[in-house]
Amino acid sequence: MPDSAVSSPVSAFFALNRLGFGARPGEAAELARRGFRVWLDEQLKPPPGDDPETAQALEDAQLRIKYAAGDPAKNQNWEAVDEMRPLGTLAQPIDALWPTVAERDKHDGSERRRPLLEVISATLIRAVHSHYPLREAMCNFWNDHFNVDAWDSEQVAVALPTYDRDVIRPNCLGNFRHLLESVATSTAMLYYLSNHSSRAGAANENYGRELFELHTLGRQAYLNDKYDRWRDVPGAPEGRPVGYIDEDVYESARSFTGWTVEDGTAIDGGRKLPQTGRFAYVENWHDGYQKRVLAADITEFQPAMADGRRVLDLVASHPATALFVCTKLVRRLVADNPPAGLVEAATRIWRDNLRAPDQIAKVVRAIALSPEFAASRGVKVRRPFALVAGFARTGGLDLMPTEPLINTISAAGQRLYGYPNPTGLPDNKAYFLGTNSMRARWQLALGLAQNSWGTGAFHPAAVMGEAAPSARDAAAFWLAAFTGSADPQQVAAIVDGMGLVPEQPVGPPDTPDAEKRLVLIAAYAAMSPGFQSC
Amino acid sequence: MLLSRRTLLQSAALASGLVPVPGLVLRAFAGPGAEKPILIVVHLRGGADGLNLVSPATDPVFIAARSTDLRVAADGPDAGYALAGSPDPNTEFRLHAAAGGLSELYGSGQLAFIHAAGLTDSTRSHFVATDMIERGVADARGLTRIRDGWLTRYLAHERAIGIAAVSAAGSVSGELLGRADALAVPDLGGGLAPAGGPQAREVLTGLYATRRDVFTAAGREALGAMTTIDSHVPRDDKGAVIAYQPDPGTAYESAAEFGRPLKALAQLIKMDLGLEVATVDIGGWDTHEYQAGRFKAAVGRLSNGLAAFWNDMQRYHDRMIVVTVSEFGRRLRSNRSNGTDHGRANVMMVLGGQVDGGRFHGGWPGLASDKLDEGVDLAVVTDYRQVLTEILQNRVKKPVAGVFPDYAFSGDLGIFSV
Repeated sequence: MPDSAVSSPVSAFFALNRLGFGARPGEAAELARRGFRVWLDEQLKPPPGDDPETAQALEDAQLRIKYAAGDPAKNQNWEAVDEMRPLGTLAQPIDALWPTVAERDKHDGSERRRPLLEVISATLIRAVHSHYPLREAMCNFWNDHFNVDAWDSEQVAVALPTYDRDVIRPNCLGNFRHLLESVATSTAMLYYLSNHSSRAGAANENYGRELFELHTLGRQAYLNDKYDRWRDVPGAPEGRPVGYIDEDVYESARSFTGWTVEDGTAIDGGRKLPQTGRFAYVENWHDGYQKRVLAADITEFQPAMADGRRVLDLVASHPATALFVCTKLVRRLVADNPPAGLVEAATRIWRDNLRAPDQIAKVVRAIALSPEFAASRGVKVRRPFALVAGFARTGGLDLMPTEPLINTISAAGQRLYGYPNPTGLPDNKAYFLGTNSMRARWQLALGLAQNSWGTGAFHPAAVMGEAAPSARDAAAFWLAAFTGSADPQQVAAIVDGMGLVPEQPVGPPDTPDAEKRLVLIAAYAAMSPGFQSC
Repeated sequence: MLLSRRTLLQSAALASGLVPVPGLVLRAFAGPGAEKPILIVVHLRGGADGLNLVSPATDPVFIAARSTDLRVAADGPDAGYALAGSPDPNTEFRLHAAAGGLSELYGSGQLAFIHAAGLTDSTRSHFVATDMIERGVADARGLTRIRDGWLTRYLAHERAIGIAAVSAAGSVSGELLGRADALAVPDLGGGLAPAGGPQAREVLTGLYATRRDVFTAAGREALGAMTTIDSHVPRDDKGAVIAYQPDPGTAYESAAEFGRPLKALAQLIKMDLGLEVATVDIGGWDTHEYQAGRFKAAVGRLSNGLAAFWNDMQRYHDRMIVVTVSEFGRRLRSNRSNGTDHGRANVMMVLGGQVDGGRFHGGWPGLASDKLDEGVDLAVVTDYRQVLTEILQNRVKKPVAGVFPDYAFSGDLGIFSV
């Protein structure tokens, strides 16, 4: 690998692995030639939409769907289906997909789960092909931060294409306040944290609580064990409380009553919400009386959505939010134990840019250009999704996601768009390195290499440009490609473990034996300790 | 084939389960005779509605606070199971109608309830409460100071050999934080050997032999544990795993997805590899809306699962204790989504061959408004650490210290008859 040619303190190989999903053949050399800063600034301002190569890969992609005909005796009126189908839900507005949940007698359950599988597939394809991998990594980050579980809820599954396309993706490097409201009014979040059914009288506290604890101020700012009344919280008399207590959660829950989804629910008497799956504000369900959130008074009978928006203003601009979210960003991009100085610097930039349209990009840039980032090579775990995308990127594999692959990624600890807990996936290496997860990680590398799940043929000889290299050269090539270095002991472990003679060709050129051994050598390189981290 | 002679010898040895592979850290296992007590912690994740599970069914305050489908009926076709030994002479307690399995265990005298138990801290955050319960502390200061799990500290008291600590889940539970050799085993249906056969195992052993970083250490640990356990998974002469046969009458499938980890745990226990503590999770309890159907399903899984597991573990009853924990209970009054929000105290269950069951232990504060926590929730009258301490002391028949820092044990509740 052309690592040595890099003049920036950040190695090209490392940058592509940490800020993206691995180096495609030739990509590290290209980045090194152009320079890390140039690459980074380009990554932070991606043009909207997919680059042409990625768009093509998405257009070419197909995913099997198969189900039996419905039983008319049970009022199930649909035909049997067994076909390879393009990823057609990705571009659909929610009202085009909502009938699968609204008219259950006309659609098999597979159609309700289909948008979830398509979004997972698209996410994988983008990570493999994208010329803007940092955007993909940031979408990944915000999907964890604003976690929804589409495996557990058909409504969330059907809302996932719009959640990914219209909420997370356009805002992933943008402004946090804007992203926050986009999430708050999304069908996926309104269902996941049950705000869609929240009504004046006894509001549903689920969203209000997680808004404070998980989306904005964070649990360090939850001071319920110290203070019973809002005015006792330090700073509250001056209108700047340092944290929040249950009273803030309750009042916030009241503020969001009536923020709901057009899902056919009866409003009163003869009136019903339409069945479109889109956001709706229902005045009748809203608690319009005065509220107090974070020591700020919200007067009674505000215009539509005004008090909910006021709460979003208050939490988005709170110093604890800057600290909480920046800590998470540094943890993701730099180290499980975020260096305090870097968190402080990132927090300052966040707070100086509360209204900037590129607030998040500015913070990410500062983190990526810090000495702490440059010094952090190899300390983060490569998460199962990144392991798969990285194998495909580096191995030149035109990955076609399939359900067995998706299930094995889940078994390795990362059920995509489906962490069952609103915290989102843990961001520490211990979570991913247990016995069960390690076993699934090795299985992922081997299964991709051997095309065990119909994800596409892997052609290592084509990537190497050599049909029958020596066993030692092949092992060195793939270890360097996947881990950035060809440690002789690791080379020997592969060659000796396979019972090969180091200097001899892996087999007669262009024979199945030679190809099979090359596939295994590459798989073992991806199963090595060096590819478990980034 | 290019298999080396060494590989062939090793695979033969592994198949017989006898000879360790050089370079692998194989666990010594206890073998017959070392019959230590087994403690299993069942975590009801999400905050279970204890008031609707072990329910003060005839309390007028409770009846007024809940719609009919969010409480257990005392009569009629949906009536719950009547429970002897109410903690309140004026109130009849009943088990949820989907908890037939638990009702039988209670009736047989092996299952006891401790109601109004939980954290003394007032947090209503899932994640703070879960962290506290898993680490065995009860305040924010404890969380900053204490970084390991209470089961980890407990196990440190004695020398554990073999596979001592397991989470029957995809990852190791917080109770075992800091226990380097704790395993996560959610399923044994396909055995536990690495994919790729003996050659892959040999290559992996080499790849993970020399380096010293945490990733290498994790791989080495995983390989050793996988090999130890997999060598006890029965296989046919073609190498295919022979499906696990539980004791007759055991229906893990009746517990849906909760059955799978329980089955893996039972299989592991029967391998007699020295298991001392295990954790298992059951989710689906965070019922902020549409609670009735979801809660009924969750109770069914819990009840059927524990009943199946207990049936399968006949031979181990005398040395086994199962305890349930949940981070908090739920609000007395239901919300307008026909659900319940985060509350405070909950019911803990203790199941075991030596449990003084068929009754409640500990107090019951009642639901009068002046008895409620912050005016809204069932108050905690039994510190969850009191229950856990009593269990640990019964297990080793001597006082234990240091497992719950800053907690002074206030004496036995009388959960055990032996």
